[in-house]
Amino acid sequence: MRNIWVIGKREFISYFSSPIAYVAISVFLVVVGLKFFVVDSFFENGEASLRSFFGLVPAFFVFYLPAVAMRLVSEEKRLGTFELLATLPVSDAEIILGKFVGALGFLAVTLLLTLVYPLILVSLGDPDGGAIFGGYLGLALIGASFIAVTIMSSAWTGSQIVAYIVGAVLSSLFFFIDKILEAFWEGAKDVAAYVSFDAHFTNFTRGVLDTRDLVFFVTMTAICLVVATFSLNRRRWN
Amino acid sequence: MAETTATAMIEVDGLAKRYGDIEALQGISFKVNKGEIVGFLGPNGAGKSTCLKIMTCFIPPSAGKVRIGGKDVQEHSREVRHKFGYLPESAPLYTDMIAYDYLKYIGQLRGLSGKKLAERLELVASKCGISNVLGQIVGTLSKGYRQRVCLAQALIHDPEILVLDEPTVGLDPNQVVEIRSLIKELGSERTVILSSHILPEVLATCDRVIIIHRGRLVANGTPEQLQREQMSNPPVVLRLQASETVTEAKVLEVLRAQEWVEAARARPVGIPGELEFELRGKGEADLRSLAVTLASAQKWALLEVRRELLDLEGLFRKLTQE
Repeated sequence: MRNIWVIGKREFISYFSSPIAYVAISVFLVVVGLKFFVVDSFFENGEASLRSFFGLVPAFFVFYLPAVAMRLVSEEKRLGTFELLATLPVSDAEIILGKFVGALGFLAVTLLLTLVYPLILVSLGDPDGGAIFGGYLGLALIGASFIAVTIMSSAWTGSQIVAYIVGAVLSSLFFFIDKILEAFWEGAKDVAAYVSFDAHFTNFTRGVLDTRDLVFFVTMTAICLVVATFSLNRRRWN
Repeated sequence: MAETTATAMIEVDGLAKRYGDIEALQGISFKVNKGEIVGFLGPNGAGKSTCLKIMTCFIPPSAGKVRIGGKDVQEHSREVRHKFGYLPESAPLYTDMIAYDYLKYIGQLRGLSGKKLAERLELVASKCGISNVLGQIVGTLSKGYRQRVCLAQALIHDPEILVLDEPTVGLDPNQVVEIRSLIKELGSERTVILSSHILPEVLATCDRVIIIHRGRLVANGTPEQLQREQMSNPPVVLRLQASETVTEAKVLEVLRAQEWVEAARARPVGIPGELEFELRGKGEADLRSLAVTLASAQKWALLEVRRELLDLEGLFRKLTQE
């Protein structure tokens, strides 16, 4: 446990020791802000809800979070620091979980900075607290899944770029799978809704906290992290 | 027998490693006793790093076993990993971290914390001579300092065993001397195993030398034994001033006629008016004095006589031929 925390803390701090983190967060906030206030003209709608915000952010996360998580393992492999890390008394699972925790911290900072939106809502009207809470919980869960997906792709390669592309492609596949499946086969709609990240996420934004949605994201995240651990462990196979 | 096993810190037994079709290690066995500094010598690609990677639990062997402190590195991986400090080849570091934070990070992952960690950090930093750069970002440090930071990292938990993969590669001559003396000093308290492809380095630093070549162990002995091997019957090089009477063919004829000469051949010199010959003798006699005597008797203008010590490649050829 302690090792996970130590690794997570290092990863978290390391995000903010380079300008990339600030640029990424700024871009995120500007794009989301533009969409929310300008494109969806929040102030003219007369509606105290974050619906358009929750509609946009997960799709943005598909491209944003792979950029956050792409370097986590691949960079260690490229620099050769992985060899050192792996020969410390630390297990591969602790390495992966530590990296995951560090990236979650970054996600948390991103989400905390968007809390101005609900604050604006509260100051202007009487928003549905349940929907906002559910939406944020959903964002945290779907974000965690995208991070886990990219940590997995990052564990497959020594190149950040490859990790990003594979991570983003897999993330968008998981996110849009219902729309993709539906386009080819109408009958797959029910199945598609079950495996689609988007469908599960939408439930949260309606203020519906269903354990099935929760279990879905937790399971997806866990599967990706387990695969990532196995990928690291593969060097130990003969 | 039981006694020797008790003092053996590292036991390597029939170690083999295959990467696809390439056999990086083909059954290597040796022991390293407590408190020894052992040099692992071999040209690039000999299998040194592979062997060290297996010893440090990074990759598994295809066959064979490594025991550290009597524990198998595969079965008791985590326990074994506490026992050693490792400096991987080319000293990989997180270049975006401050040196102090980096050492603290590794110390924490090594299970240290609080006052103990702060004390160890201060101690290894002063020992490795990096106290004055602890506040700097690792990426801004010179290669020599990075090597030291990485060495400090390997020492932070006061390990019984130190595993150093090519610790002096990429350093300038002054830094090489400093790192070597540091290794020697560290070796007075602990078992050290280091790899190198530089023969003099290993001879200068180590109590014992293990030579591997193409994945096989070709020698295992003290530097003195190796040096003797290196010195025994080395070729002697003779350089003469050329003249009308002193020509390549004539000199060779005279040389080959001597009973103490086993073989003689001319070597290209590149300087006009000079001739160079390489002699190999019979038996152990030092050819230099014989060559000087011969030259004065023949009234050759002798420019240079020297014994050609074997370099690493030559030593390998010699060892692998036998």
